Parts: sequence; structure tokens; C-alpha cells
Amino acid sequence: MPGHLELLGAGIAGMFHLKYMVPLVIGSLIGVVGGALPGITITMTVIVVLPFTFGLEPLQGLAAMIGVYVGGETGGLITSCLLGIPGKPSAVATTFDGFPMSKKGEPGRALWLGIWASILGGLLGAIVLVAATGPLAELALAFGPWEYFSLFILALSMVAGLVESSLAKGLLSGAIGCIVTILGNDPVMGQPRLTLGIAWLEGGVPFLPVLIGVFAFAQIMTDVERMGLAKTSDTIDAGVKLAVSHLNVLWDILSRPFLLLWSTFIGLVIGVLPAIGGSAANMLASDQAKKFSSRPEKFGTGIPEGIIASESSNNANVAGSLVTIMAFGIPGDAVTAVMLGALTIHGIQSGPLFISQNAALAYGMFAAYILAHPLVLIMLALGVRWVLRIVIVPKSILYPVVLVLCVVGAYALGNSMPTVYVLLASGLGGYAMVKLGFPLAPFILGVILGDQIEINLVRSIMTDSDPWLFVTRPISGVLLAASVVSIVAAIWQHRRMQRKAAAAADEPDTDF
Amino acid sequence: MKLSRDGWGGLAALAASLFLYAATLGLKDNPLVPIGPGYYPRIVLGISAILALAVLIADLLKARKPRAAPSEKQKLNYAMVAAMFAAFGLYCGALPFVGFRIATFVYLAATNAMLDPPASTKGYLRVLAVALVTTVVVYLAFERYLDVLLPRGRWTDY
Repeated sequence: MPGHLELLGAGIAGMFHLKYMVPLVIGSLIGVVGGALPGITITMTVIVVLPFTFGLEPLQGLAAMIGVYVGGETGGLITSCLLGIPGKPSAVATTFDGFPMSKKGEPGRALWLGIWASILGGLLGAIVLVAATGPLAELALAFGPWEYFSLFILALSMVAGLVESSLAKGLLSGAIGCIVTILGNDPVMGQPRLTLGIAWLEGGVPFLPVLIGVFAFAQIMTDVERMGLAKTSDTIDAGVKLAVSHLNVLWDILSRPFLLLWSTFIGLVIGVLPAIGGSAANMLASDQAKKFSSRPEKFGTGIPEGIIASESSNNANVAGSLVTIMAFGIPGDAVTAVMLGALTIHGIQSGPLFISQNAALAYGMFAAYILAHPLVLIMLALGVRWVLRIVIVPKSILYPVVLVLCVVGAYALGNSMPTVYVLLASGLGGYAMVKLGFPLAPFILGVILGDQIEINLVRSIMTDSDPWLFVTRPISGVLLAASVVSIVAAIWQHRRMQRKAAAAADEPDTDF
Repeated sequence: MKLSRDGWGGLAALAASLFLYAATLGLKDNPLVPIGPGYYPRIVLGISAILALAVLIADLLKARKPRAAPSEKQKLNYAMVAAMFAAFGLYCGALPFVGFRIATFVYLAATNAMLDPPASTKGYLRVLAVALVTTVVVYLAFERYLDVLLPRGRWTDY
């Protein structure tokens, strides 16, 4: 059995073959453009790319998606720095200091600080990705159905607990996701249940069209609501000076090693936690950078720390998300949820056995992640001005095209129309959930994990009908206890926020 | 008592959970396995019903803030959202009858014109060109290079 580094070396060497390099380059390029386009998220970009990967080998498709993911995280900073409009939610915090720095006459420094911080954060994350995924997967190999059940419950409760508005709504959203998975034949005896008389529902609801529909429509329709209502100036001065001394920029970052490492760590941890994503990572890293800074009052005025914290964390977040999906089969965010779908289409089961059973694929994914960073760096060095021209493509053209590609993606899953109807229904449902204030992350996690929760619950009961085993088996007990703690902590935090809000409302208004 | 969006969401989820829960009562257990096909669905639906009830009650107990005057609220273009959904529904419905190429061309042109109405002949030409180029590129990419057979029209055989 070859060693860890040999496999990684083989993975990197293999990735240089044209059949893998071409999808990686194209994916990275699409990711940079998609990430830079305000209103087009990385999830939407990866959804658009998904149908193009169906006819490819699994590693080719995954290389393209990883390229999109890395390229998107880096590309999102372009408009954040130069326009003050985040290209994606995980670049919001970059805007706070990136745009003021540009306005102060240093657009090139702002842009390249972000790009280099992204690359360094991403590559530091790669070390953890490669080093931690295998041992974590080995740990998960010791899991029985009780532990898996408890792990999935923990994942759901954590995500639901992170919903700021209402814990009950977060949990309900997760439960609704699980309801989607109970429609169709039961996984033990294949007995039809809750099919509502619809024959094709016997096979269950495929999760990929649900995921595509929910995310694409929730994003596009909430943007359509505002189209034509407010005019924004999406134009960039063509003569903007972007040339910088890269050595100076690198020194700006490397002279702040604690900031870089801490922000990368935050990004990794947020990435490992299920279904949270880079939007939380960049805000938290920026907040932490401010708290640890000797000049917190300068944040928001265009200082390097704000850009470095945000950008290193969101690229490291990608590595964290990949760890979770490769070691446990739990998506770290919406993009890795789509990747999970792509794996499923090719008949590959993610989870603890993934690395040992698909070593070439797993190490190929590591290699794609590592190589995507220098590729994105080269692309931006050569063509950042072209990207600036592309980002002004009107949404009136982009959105219908994205929806057509969603239809193609859904249709291609089974070469049949029912999956397209699932897409339509999910789109309506996703938009309704957004308007009713239900968070989408717990719902999607419920849709993805619902089947696994049921299978592991049934397996554990069929093995031993004693329900106390869920609590008395050490790992399972700890995981369930952690679920309870996360819910209690969420309730406590929610009450504390309510008290603060009430106290703020009671304060006399001194602003005359 | 008036419900806010939380209340309506909770009520809808409660109704759906109870309806599906009732449907699970008709599922027959299999003597070969200790738990039947309705076991897990009942747990999930029971939990979702309780959570939906909690959301509903919390909304009913919540102190209502006075509604913002219409001028203070941001007006959103819901008519456009409804039109976009309708267009997408029609597109999905039309695909098996008129085929991918015709349905996609019409859908792209219609929605593009809806979102950004053309004001001149040049604008109309741009809408038609975008629809045509996108349809052709998507069709060729998937049918020729990615081996994905896109829907053919029952009526048009195209």
C-alpha cells in the first residue's frame, strides 16, 4: 500500500494530465467569473457547471467543481475591493476594508492583498485537508449505526442552532428537509409509503433537483424582486491602476503571521462545521481580527488586516468543507452538497470508506484543490481586467440562462421530466421558505441526511432493540450530548440577544 | 388574532405534518422486520408537527409592533417574480410537447424581454440573438459533446 505522500504526489502528477487539467482550468476560470459577478453565488456557479460534468469521469467532474469553488472564493473579492459590492456572501467582510483602500487610491494593493491572502489561506488549509481527512475517516470507521445516527443528529442540531432568528424555525426547517426523504419506498423492505398516488415518487425524491431548485430560485427570485427598483453603478473605471509590488503585498501579509494563521484556522473550523460556509467564516475572521488588533478603530477605513482576515478565512473554509464531506459524508456547505450529488450520480458513496475505497479519486481531489490556487493566481495576474469587463453582463441575460442550465441539469439526472418538475416544485418551495423566513441550510442538510438518519436508526434497532444504546455507547452518547448542548447554547444565545435588544430599546434616545 | 409570516409558516407546516402523519397510519407493518415503514416517518412528522406548533404559538404570543407605513416599506416587484415563475412553469410544461430547442429559445427571449424590456429594434435583435446563441450552444454542448439527450417535442418531433 503506497504511503500518504506518495499518493498525494501521484495525485498531483495525475492532475497534470490534460484530461484533468482542462476541466480544472475551465472550472477555475468559471469560478473566478462567477465569484466576481455580484448576485451570482458560488453555489449557483457550481450548479450551472454540474450538468456539464455528468458525461465526464468522476475526477474530471470533481476537479472542475473544486476549480469553481476555489476560483469563486478568490474571484468574489474583485468587485468587493473595486466596486464595494461583494461578488458573493463570503466576500462581504472584504468590502469593509477593500473598498475604502481602493477609494484611498490603492485599488491594486487592495485587490492583490485579497488575492495573495486567499492563496495563502487556501494553501495553509490544504495542509490540514491532506493531513486531517484520513485520520478523521479512520476515526469514523469505528462508528456503528448508533454513532452515525447521533452524528447526523448533531449536524442537524448545530446548523439549526446557528439560525439567528428562531431556533424552532431552524429545527423545523431541518425536519421539513427530512420529510422530503420519507416520500417514496422505505429503505428496508422497499414498501411504498406516502407516494400520494404518484407512481414516480416510489423511487423517492432525488435530492439534487431539490438542492438546485431551492438554491437557484431562492437567490434569483429574491434578486428579481429588486430588479429595476434601485439603480446601482456597476461600472469600473477602465483606467484603474492595478499594478503593485507583489513583494510588498506579500510582506504586508507575512508580517502578520498570527492574523493569517488565526483567520485560516477560523475558516477551517467553520468549513468543517456542517452547512455553514464562507459567509460566516469571513465575518467571524474579520471580527476576530478587529478584537485582536492594536488599532481596532482603523478597521473599515482601508487597512490590510481586514482584507487579509476575510480572504484567508474564506479560502481555508473550502478546505474545511472538503474535510467533512470526504471523512464523514456530511456537506460542509451548499457547494459540497452539490459535489456530494455529483459523487452519488457516479455511484460513489462518500463517507469514512471513501478514501480507502477510492484512494486515487480522493488524492486527485486533494491535488485539484492544491493546484487550483496557483492556477487562479496566474489567471488573475493575466486577466483581471477581462474579468472586470465580464462582470457587467446584465442579470436579465444571466438569470434566464442559469435557469435553463438548471433544467438541463435536472433533466440529465434521469433523462426524464419528473426531475424537472421536482426542480420547479423545489424552486417554489425554496422561495416560499425564504419569504416565510425559514433558513435554507438546515432544510438542505435534512434532505441530504434524512435517508442516512433513517437507515442508521433502522439498522441500530434491527441489531439491538435497546434504545438506551444511543446514550450508553460512549461516542454516540457524547455526540447526542453535544447536540443537546448546541441546542441549549442556541437558546441561551437567542435569549441573550433578545435581552440586549430589549435593553437597547428601553434606553432613552439622546440623539436630538 | 393576526398571524405574521412566522405564524403562517408554522400553520402550513403543521397542516402538512398532520396530513402526512395521518397518511402513515394506513401503512402496514411487515412481520419480518421489527419496525415498519411508518416508524421513522411518524417520528419525523411528529417532531415537525410539534416544532410547527411551537413556531405558531410563539408567533401568537409575540407582541406585535405597529405596521410600517407603506412608504417606509421597500416595495418589491412581486409581479415580476410571479411572471418569472409562470414563465418557468410554462417552459417546463412545454418541454415535452415542443422540445428543448423551441421551448428554450422562446423562454429565453420572453424572460430576457420581461426582465429588461427592449426599447428599440436593436434591443429586440439583442434579445433574439442571446436566446438563439444560448439555445444553440447549450444544445450542441450537451447533445454532441456530453451525450445528454435533451427533450424532443411530442408535437414537433424536434
